Amino acid sequence: MKIIIVGAGEVGFHIAQRLSEEGQDVVLIDKDPTNVKRINENLDVQAFLGSGTSHNLLKTSGIETADMLVAATDSDEVNLIACLLARNLNQYMLKVARVRNQEFLDQKDLFNQQSLDIDLLINPQSLMVKTILSIMEVPGASEVIDFVDGRVKLIGITIKKDSQFIDRRLLSFKDLEEKLLVGAIVRKNQVMIPRGNDTIQMDDLVYLVVRSDELNNMLKLFDIKEETLRRVLIIGAGQTGTALATALDKSKINAKIIDNNSKVCAELAAKLEHVIVINGDGGDKNLLREENIGDVDFMVAITGDEENNILISLLAKGLGAKRTITRVSKLSYIPLVSAIGIDTVVSPRLSAVRAILQYIRRGKVISVAPLKGEQAEAIEAEALETSDIVNSPLSKVKFPKGAIVGAIVRGENIIIPRGDSIVMPKDRLIIFALEKVIPKLEKLLTVKLEYF
Amino acid sequence: MQFRVITRFIAILVFFLGFSMAGPLLVSFIYDDGSTRALLLSAGITSLTGIILFLFTKKPGDAHLNHRDGVFVVTLGWVMAGLFGTLPYLFSGTIPDFTNAYFESISGFTTTGASILTDIENLPKGILLWRSQTQWLGGMGIIVLSIAILPFLGIGGMQLYRAEIPSPVVDKLKPRISETAKTLWKVYLLITFVEILLLFAGGMPLFDSVCHAFCTMPTGGFSTKNASIAYFNSAYFDGVFVLFMLFAGINFSLHYKLIKGDVKIFGMDPECRVFLFLLALLTLIVTVNTYGPVYDSLTRAFRAAAFQVTSLLTTTGFVTSDYEKWPALSQQILLGCMFLGGMAGSTGGGMKTLRIMLLIRHGYQEIFRIIHPHAVTTVKLGGKPVPADILSSIWGFFILYIGLFIVATLVMASLGLDMKTALGSVAASIGNIGPGFGMVGPAKNYLLTPVFGKWILIFCMLLGRLEIYTVIVFLVPEFWRK
Repeated sequence: MKIIIVGAGEVGFHIAQRLSEEGQDVVLIDKDPTNVKRINENLDVQAFLGSGTSHNLLKTSGIETADMLVAATDSDEVNLIACLLARNLNQYMLKVARVRNQEFLDQKDLFNQQSLDIDLLINPQSLMVKTILSIMEVPGASEVIDFVDGRVKLIGITIKKDSQFIDRRLLSFKDLEEKLLVGAIVRKNQVMIPRGNDTIQMDDLVYLVVRSDELNNMLKLFDIKEETLRRVLIIGAGQTGTALATALDKSKINAKIIDNNSKVCAELAAKLEHVIVINGDGGDKNLLREENIGDVDFMVAITGDEENNILISLLAKGLGAKRTITRVSKLSYIPLVSAIGIDTVVSPRLSAVRAILQYIRRGKVISVAPLKGEQAEAIEAEALETSDIVNSPLSKVKFPKGAIVGAIVRGENIIIPRGDSIVMPKDRLIIFALEKVIPKLEKLLTVKLEYF
Repeated sequence: MQFRVITRFIAILVFFLGFSMAGPLLVSFIYDDGSTRALLLSAGITSLTGIILFLFTKKPGDAHLNHRDGVFVVTLGWVMAGLFGTLPYLFSGTIPDFTNAYFESISGFTTTGASILTDIENLPKGILLWRSQTQWLGGMGIIVLSIAILPFLGIGGMQLYRAEIPSPVVDKLKPRISETAKTLWKVYLLITFVEILLLFAGGMPLFDSVCHAFCTMPTGGFSTKNASIAYFNSAYFDGVFVLFMLFAGINFSLHYKLIKGDVKIFGMDPECRVFLFLLALLTLIVTVNTYGPVYDSLTRAFRAAAFQVTSLLTTTGFVTSDYEKWPALSQQILLGCMFLGGMAGSTGGGMKTLRIMLLIRHGYQEIFRIIHPHAVTTVKLGGKPVPADILSSIWGFFILYIGLFIVATLVMASLGLDMKTALGSVAASIGNIGPGFGMVGPAKNYLLTPVFGKWILIFCMLLGRLEIYTVIVFLVPEFWRK
């Protein structure tokens, strides 16, 4: 598949990297020579210097034979025009645009087939807000990913030192069978797909597959008390902060938002009903104390400056905030950040990449979620009749090392599989796999993880 | 530096090289020329070395070649290719001396075409094919070939590609580097095949057609005849050779675009226009200059001039006439051609038309600034501004090229060679041409060059083929610093 990406910013660069590593033909267009140079040095893709709104450049980049355009520049207008030009040059190609301006997004008619004809709109900000809200739903988890319309949840939990699970082998989880499955363990920044003999250690980040109706019982087992979310403190009233505050404004949660720009604060205060807007420095210890940081359930640091976010989160942790959510864009920071004690990281880049990858892989593969800096993936796929995986017990199936079936969804039933579980045709499977075994997995499912 | 990844890559390269000896082996078997055992031994030793090296370097975990590794792999790869390339010569006894064998081998791979052999026609056919084949492999590049074949290189392939491709700017034809390399090799293969057909159709024996085509497309210049192309003495062959030397001197991405249906591309590309214009102009001057004193017919003069100018400008080094007997002006022009070279991204050597063009434009810009001190100007190519870092890298290249040429000439002169020979041999080696002037002129060869001089020339050939930077960087202590 040939994919043209306009804009080699953080999102564009990362999608290009992912797709080219998966063997797709990727062409990048960016108007900044330093970006183009960086791409040429780091990625095996073709890079063109110039504007994505140039008809001629799109033509030289081979748009007429391309299958897909991803417009991911920082400018909504450029993205929309690139899609418009693409539509003119190649009416069959799929078009994905990153659009942030809510006013555009509200105009649903604008994107239908008669006018701009954009197949997928991506708004990293709103994706991130969604992610943050779903993390807040399960306060003990550092990551929550929904599968099968939310009926199965994938939660990431860090094992505390007094947990009953430490040193227990996964084989001994007999009592929990069919309720819970450990799909992946992150230990010292390495993702592993566990087998029966592996044990859980302190400070591991474990990814559990749980049925959503069992969620609360399971969380109790992991010493995560069921608590209602009461107080949230947001630092940074940029686009994401504002969107988050607006979402929380309608709920009963007691939320505050801090920003050091008085003008922004004034505008926001005029818009919001319940959320308290505070003008001040989010890194100011005294201000945080004044606002009772010690009683806050969630502190969300989402200023535009990621280094600042990390420091603020550390500070808040030190001052007694129960949990923190930190916005970090640079992927290389993410593993470091969890090492210094920050609970949860959200990244607009990762959110956008997830959305685009899911879209690209649609077909037999229903959804995809990259785990932990993308060394592993959780894949939702349909089991085909032709596949080797169906009609024999899972323990007999030659499953590639580094992949595991996390859940089987058969109609209304959700089965957390055991060795003797049998997959039936048409079942939906949730599979965990390390990035490097994905090609083997593709073969096993006999569905080439089809693109379209 | 990741020596494991580097060794592994070299191992694969060496294995492929051994594998490629199968062609000459087959030919020697068919003709029963007495070199079968030598070639079998060479092929066996070379591929076995590759396999053993491969097995002894465990699979590296995360193989990500950086720029430095890339440069190292490419240079080491070429040195090793030259080394294993000597085996057929040594085992068959055609060139018993190692220095001579290495000279012939490197001269082959770098597509120089300088030879130490005096009686080429009596060599076994298998050895002759191997000799031509080294040029053919070296022309588009052994590394580029590996990138095309090996799927796992990824971005590391880009680093290697950049270190080998003879051009100041890297032009990707396809989104993936391995696809780009494959495309280039396909174009190369196609043009070579057409040339074989045309030579064969003109009555040249199939074996000679293949060998000559293998030496034209990489702008190599080895011939299977002692007298080079002059042996055939045919206007038809001269014409075919001129046409294909010209093709070889043109950027291969233009050929690709031409095949894709862009018929006006040669006229549209600014570098190609200058290259063709230069070729026509120099041919004209040499024709006029040699008509009278050397040739009594204008067509004879034109035929010789066109052949020799094309041969030297594209750095092929085929010979139809002893240009040392030409007037001084013509000789000077041919010497100049050795420095100019073909287009960037072609298989030709020399400094490349693109670099010269940009240097002249940059020079003019400086003059312009004296007239308009406040003018804001940029050097442009085909209407697009050329980034300053490319310009400065071209200046660096120019200085190093001339500087190394002068130093090497001095060393050659200190070995007791006369000025014309010292100058000609270094210019012909660093430019990857082959025949030079004086003792190494078109009617003579490199056999009598002193041993140390041969090693200097071997170094110059590598410098020229890998475009200076890739080789010279090893001599800088900074490279070895952790």
